[in-house]
Amino acid sequence: MKSIDDFSRPEEYISPMDKHFRSVIRAWVDKDVMPHRREYDEDWKEHALIEPAFENLMANRGLGIQKALFPADLGGWGLGQSDYAFTIACTLAEEIGRADTAMGVAFMVTYWPLTTILVEPHVNRRLAAEFAPMFCKSDKAVFAALAMTEPQGGADIENMELLGGKTIKTTARLDGDVWIINGHKLWPTNTGGVGQLFGVPCTTRPGSTDPNDFALIFVPADVKGVTQGGPYEKAGMAADKNGDLWFEDVRVPAWYRVHGPGKDAQVFKEIIPWGLVASMGFIVGAMMNLYEVLYEFVSTRTYGNRPLKENDAIAGLIGRIAGDIEVCRIIAYEGARIGDRRNRPYGHPLYSEEVLAKLRNLKDFVCDRAVENFGRAMDVLGVYGPDRGYDIEKHWRDIKIIQLWMGGKQLCQMEAARYFYNCKTL
Amino acid sequence: MHKPLDGLFLSTREQIDEEEQRIVNTVRQWVEREILAKRLPYLEHYEQEFAEKHRMLLMDIGLQRLVLSEKDGGFGWNSTTRAPGLAAVLIEIGRADAAIAYMSALQFTTILASGADSTSPVGNLISRFYSTDKPVNPAMILPGAGSLDEQTSLFLGRSINARLIHEGDNDILFGKNIRPTGCGAMADLFCVVCTDSAGQPRIAFVSADALGVQRGNILKETGLKACTNADVTFNHVRLPREAILEGIDAVERLYLWLNLLLGATSVGAAMNFFEIVYDWASTRTIKGGSIMKENPLCASVLADVAEEIAIARFLIDDLARLIARMAGPHSPELQHVYTMSQIVGYRVQQGTLRAVNRGMELMGSAGYAREWHAEKHWRDIKTIQSYLCGVGAEVPVKMDTARYFFDRREI
Repeated sequence: MKSIDDFSRPEEYISPMDKHFRSVIRAWVDKDVMPHRREYDEDWKEHALIEPAFENLMANRGLGIQKALFPADLGGWGLGQSDYAFTIACTLAEEIGRADTAMGVAFMVTYWPLTTILVEPHVNRRLAAEFAPMFCKSDKAVFAALAMTEPQGGADIENMELLGGKTIKTTARLDGDVWIINGHKLWPTNTGGVGQLFGVPCTTRPGSTDPNDFALIFVPADVKGVTQGGPYEKAGMAADKNGDLWFEDVRVPAWYRVHGPGKDAQVFKEIIPWGLVASMGFIVGAMMNLYEVLYEFVSTRTYGNRPLKENDAIAGLIGRIAGDIEVCRIIAYEGARIGDRRNRPYGHPLYSEEVLAKLRNLKDFVCDRAVENFGRAMDVLGVYGPDRGYDIEKHWRDIKIIQLWMGGKQLCQMEAARYFYNCKTL
Repeated sequence: MHKPLDGLFLSTREQIDEEEQRIVNTVRQWVEREILAKRLPYLEHYEQEFAEKHRMLLMDIGLQRLVLSEKDGGFGWNSTTRAPGLAAVLIEIGRADAAIAYMSALQFTTILASGADSTSPVGNLISRFYSTDKPVNPAMILPGAGSLDEQTSLFLGRSINARLIHEGDNDILFGKNIRPTGCGAMADLFCVVCTDSAGQPRIAFVSADALGVQRGNILKETGLKACTNADVTFNHVRLPREAILEGIDAVERLYLWLNLLLGATSVGAAMNFFEIVYDWASTRTIKGGSIMKENPLCASVLADVAEEIAIARFLIDDLARLIARMAGPHSPELQHVYTMSQIVGYRVQQGTLRAVNRGMELMGSAGYAREWHAEKHWRDIKTIQSYLCGVGAEVPVKMDTARYFFDRREI
């Protein structure tokens, strides 16, 4: 083992652009994030340290990566048209997650609602052109959010297979050529004051399970009636701001609905695989950093006056950790490839139960391994384990959040059971 | 909740006498009134609130004197027979705030390890230290990780990073940038496992005011935030003979108390987590309307939570009973109790952490939001667990266990 890059992944699947993307992001991580990340927890509210790093990554005076999904003719990089979009997403998540998974999620969630209008085969040119200047021409980091969770339902909204959106309380009413939106959302990444564009799942008929009544509508943050609360204080993930979001008689043009009746429900289901693959990428990146820290510690610290790694029992532990990182990385890229096969004859559509069940299953597995291995690694460090100076404890706090989000572990288990056992009532 | 916590998580109450139960009840009232009823403001102004509540517990209720002998003005809980009572008290405090319980556990351990009685020179020194009207904060330096550039003396495989050199009537303590198990930045008294010049384990009690005690920068740690920590250097610290406790037995006794009392601390924190998750699972709906706890999958996760806590509490009760028997005519040998304390200590930390980890799975974002308090218990227990490991995760404890049960001769 020479470096973190030697952890296996299916090389046959890797994008030709991988090396370039990875080196650019890693240089940014090493320069703008690594030296400051131990101070991020205290910066959760102000983002005085965090924001400049985002600017250098996302804004056009920096790397400009926030425009990557937009078509080239609209000023973007055209990644939405790439056959490797998922695999590149996994790479990005991994590289940023190595330093700070919260930065990874805040940045990548900006893409999340935009995938519904920018990724083949669902490109909505009119909306793409509408929002392209916001992302492709700005000298500031611009954040978007997918405002799903509601106070009464928790992860119900993500459980479309069973509930079909019937618990959604945020309403959209068509009034001539505008939608009037009312509702309250909780916890979206990139709220708490930073969000500038929201993808808002709504219902046009409360209580309905008809996919035609599900609407996904874009709402710019500066429209009258949109209110963002302040950020919540959390156990970790300081770079990701979450808060309350209220819509009170918010009026947006009718064509801000992403695709229309039926299709909105389909593309909403297609959003989930992106989140699952990115989650695995974040986790694997964090695990690779775990390996870096652990390697140094077990090579220089002793038990019984011998290096920790030379003790057979401790070697058994750290060997298992490295083995799990290896397996999880392979799984994450396999998951990404499931997404990238969506348009292939041998693939499945992103909204299919195959893709959802398999990716939820993989994400659940990777999260479980991460939760166990980070906890175990902290114990290997012993009295140094809780020290932020060793970085593992921050990842430990952050990756638990990844396990809990998007419906958490139990929803993953239900999706897997439904698919693999043909369960009818779960 | 329909049932009281004591009814749910059964403990062997016959171990606790009336006096102990009175103290437990008093502490419980303090927990309910001073912390649980005001939890959000308590967390919002944590530093000030912590100091005040901790002071109240130690001085107004008097727990600073709990394990001092009656002769020294204490409550007289300075014998191993009080182990069940002490564990019960720490479970109560841990339910409120593991950081306060943690500091109490260190304090009790320090005093008990010293002999806790002014009839012995060391006990006399420590009793005097704690016979004051101000809170005395302890810190502990345990054997743990060594470094490649130095061969150290060992306590059952763990490196002892402080050493004593005999000089005239004094012993001089040395040690560079040693990591305490919390509280290093705020301690008034350090309980330091060190070696003598022959490499034999000793325990040194060092006033933070002693010349040559230097603290490093304050560390940012996962949990137990109120127990501010810093590395400590002992640079030629002159100690009187009565500040030194001799013998490997002394270190084993130290671990024995730590495993019991920190185990009780984590059980207390986990029991409060249980209350939180009970409330959550009873009031939240899933799948569009059914109460969370009525769903079989969620119920099985909730069962895991309860199971881990119940078992952890049984283990702590059993360890307390084992320690209490050390004072009796059929006293078990120290090696046996030490080994069992390591096994139980490790299992209890693992179990309570697993309980919280699993329960958080059902809480979604509320699991990691500060305002729900679940995440604080999670961070605090994890910190205690890692501290107790010392280094190498569970391996040192497993080596202790194999050594005792299989007559293993290597470290």
